[in-house]
Amino acid sequence: MPKITIAQNILAANDIIAQDIHQLLTIRGIRTINMMSSPGAGKTTLLERTIERLRGQLEVGVIEGDIETGNDAERIEAAGAETVQINTQGACHLEAHMVQDALKEMNLTGMRLLFIENIGNLVCPAAWDLGEDIRIVIASTTEGDDKPAKYPQMFAISQIMVVNKIDLLPYVDYSLEKVRRQALAINPNLRIFEVSCRTGDGLDAWCEWLSAFINGTT
Amino acid sequence: MVMHELAIAQSIVEAVEAKASECKAAHVKAVRLKIGDASGVVTDSLTFCFEMLVSLDPTLAGAQLLIDTMPHRAYCRHCAREFSVTNFVAQCPTCKEWSNEIVSGTELQMLEMEFET
Repeated sequence: MPKITIAQNILAANDIIAQDIHQLLTIRGIRTINMMSSPGAGKTTLLERTIERLRGQLEVGVIEGDIETGNDAERIEAAGAETVQINTQGACHLEAHMVQDALKEMNLTGMRLLFIENIGNLVCPAAWDLGEDIRIVIASTTEGDDKPAKYPQMFAISQIMVVNKIDLLPYVDYSLEKVRRQALAINPNLRIFEVSCRTGDGLDAWCEWLSAFINGTT
Repeated sequence: MVMHELAIAQSIVEAVEAKASECKAAHVKAVRLKIGDASGVVTDSLTFCFEMLVSLDPTLAGAQLLIDTMPHRAYCRHCAREFSVTNFVAQCPTCKEWSNEIVSGTELQMLEMEFET
C-alpha cells in the first residue's frame, strides 16, 4: 500500500497565518503581547490600568478574546484603547486566523502596542501562536501558589509572569517565594512582576518595562 | 471547534484531506504522527477526536491514527550529554545546571499517510 510523506507540523496552517500577522505588525512598528491566564486572574484589569497610564503617551490597541459577551471590550474601550472583541462561542483558545480577522477591523495607523487578551484558560492557548512578540502569563494570589508546576507548558512558553492581587497576600495562603521558585525551575529566563491592579502597587515597574519593550530596548 | 484535541485533530484531517486529494487516494488507511510528551496533547483524546472526524469523510473513514511519542529530553552543555526532563524542569541531574536546549518532546508533527488508490 502506498505511503506518502507529509512532513509538516500539525499546526502549520495556524503558524503560517501567525507569521503573516507578525510580519504585518512588525513592518508597522507595532509590538504585540499575548496575555494569558486562568479566568479572573486580572488580564482585563491589568489592561485597563496599563492603558490609563499610557494614555496620551502612545496608541494602544487591544484584541479581546472571550467565549461570550462584549463586556471586556467595553471596559477597555472606556479606558481609552481601540478594541475589537472576538467571541469564539465555544473555542477555548484564540487561533491565528481569528486574530487576522480582528486586525482587519482595526485602524493600525500610529499604533505602537497591541495586546491580545486570550481566553481565560491556563491550558490550550499555550499551543497556538498568534504572531505575538511576547507572551505573558498572569497568575493571581487567589489561585494557589502551585500553578506553574500544575500547568508547566503555559509557564514554559511565556517570557513574563505577572503575579496579580498582591494586596490580598495577608488573607490567603500564598507564597510568592514558592511561585517564583516553581516558575523559574520551569523557565529560568522568566521575568517576573508582582502587582496589585487594585492598589497600583508594582504597576510603575510594569509600565517602565513596557516602555522599554515598545522602544526595543529590552 | 471546542476542545484542545478536537482543534488539533481538525488540523490533521484538513492536511490529510488535502494530501489525499493531491494523490488521488481512494481511501486513506493510516496517518502517522510524531507527538512529544511535552506538547500538551493527550494522545487518547486526539485519537478519539480523529476517529470521530474521519468517520464523516468517506475517503478517510476508518483511517487509523498511529502515534510515535517522543520523550521530553534536553541537552546539557556542561556534561555534553542529554538528560530526561521531568515535569518541565530542564535541570541536569548531574551538574544541576539548567538547560535551554530542548532536544525532543515538543513535537506536533505529521509524518506520513498510507492510502489505497
